[in-house]
Amino acid sequence: MTRFELLRRWWQRYTSQILGGVGVVALAVYLQTTQAWVLRELYRGLQGGRVPDTRLTDSRLQELETQVQELQIQNRQLQQLLNYQQKMPLATVATTVVGRSAGHWWHQIWVGEGSGKGITPGSVVLAPGGLVGRVLDVTPHTSRVLLVTDPSSKVGVMVNRSRAMGILVGQGTGQTVLEFFDKNPDVKPGDTIVTSPFSTIFPAGIAVGKIESIDWRAMPAPQATVQLYAPIERLEWVLLHNYGAKPALLAP
Amino acid sequence: MVRNRLSSLPSFGGVLATVLSAWASLALLPLRLPGMELAGIAPDWPLIWVVAWSVKRTAWQGLIAGVTLGILQDALVNPGGGWWPSHALGLGVAGALTALLQKDRLIQEDFISVALIVFAMAAISETLMALQWSVLGHRPLGQIWLDHQRLTLASAILSSLWAPLVYVPLSRLWPED
Repeated sequence: MTRFELLRRWWQRYTSQILGGVGVVALAVYLQTTQAWVLRELYRGLQGGRVPDTRLTDSRLQELETQVQELQIQNRQLQQLLNYQQKMPLATVATTVVGRSAGHWWHQIWVGEGSGKGITPGSVVLAPGGLVGRVLDVTPHTSRVLLVTDPSSKVGVMVNRSRAMGILVGQGTGQTVLEFFDKNPDVKPGDTIVTSPFSTIFPAGIAVGKIESIDWRAMPAPQATVQLYAPIERLEWVLLHNYGAKPALLAP
Repeated sequence: MVRNRLSSLPSFGGVLATVLSAWASLALLPLRLPGMELAGIAPDWPLIWVVAWSVKRTAWQGLIAGVTLGILQDALVNPGGGWWPSHALGLGVAGALTALLQKDRLIQEDFISVALIVFAMAAISETLMALQWSVLGHRPLGQIWLDHQRLTLASAILSSLWAPLVYVPLSRLWPED
């Protein structure tokens, strides 16, 4: 029996398996290049249309919202008087959380609106309580959100009282840590944390959380454990805020 | 072993059911129903599917199935741009190892042994993920291996508990030769 004949026989026997295997892997790679667009839209289709439950917002919250709106209007008028330049939010969309992270090593959520409602990658995600994360990528009806508790999430923040700056880094466990820039920041437990005005990724002044404890001996600068205001583990609906910034996603 | 080639080809219904069950294992990933969560971790459904697929197949078939599902899970999880750890490595190794176990000689009980295999493979695939994170250097090493302990334990326990539920219908779907 010649070598050629052996090869031919081997090929005849395994040809369907080889072609099937190569085909399946090629299809998977193709789906991956489209961020599994098809899979996510199918998943969203099965979930059905749900609207955010606005009954959860109680009267106290509505009262506070009215106050905030009033203050925002005043603030805007004052800023106009000062010729203050600021980008206005392009769109705000309320939507439900349709899924959690599809991998153990990531802290993400899937939400039920996407490019169909004008959401773009980099949009800021808020929940009752404050900052939650930002949009990684979108399909027509879903967006994938990187939560601030993910270890690859880094948010420029500051202490509201003393303007001490730092970076809020996720720990992968539902906790976040504030790494200060300064060797001796003016901070104490209970201080509130907001997004920094120097951040290009997030609008300034969004509520994030409050300082729980401070580790003064951390190197190279002190670190603080921050308790987030938003209930990250139990989110039911969120606000997507098309900030219009073009952030470099996941800056190293 | 000479076989009629036509009869060795799988039926259309069987292929469709296989594809649908694999897709379902991916679609279950973002869901968190009561009883599906331990310390915020959900069962590793694609791993259970890959183990169920590989028990009575060759190592190559196990490898291909694991790599395929791993690539698709990457698409659902990894952010675009840059290098991120791939689930294809862990799932591919899990599929190939499961097929190499020679289950009929070593272990007798059917779905209990599948639960045990899933437990071991969950540990292996999470370890391979942790190794990839360590090599790529996106995170501090200490944090990676602390996370690894927590994730592996929760994932292995939950996945092995749910494994029989996935394995029994799938083993009816793929009758033995």
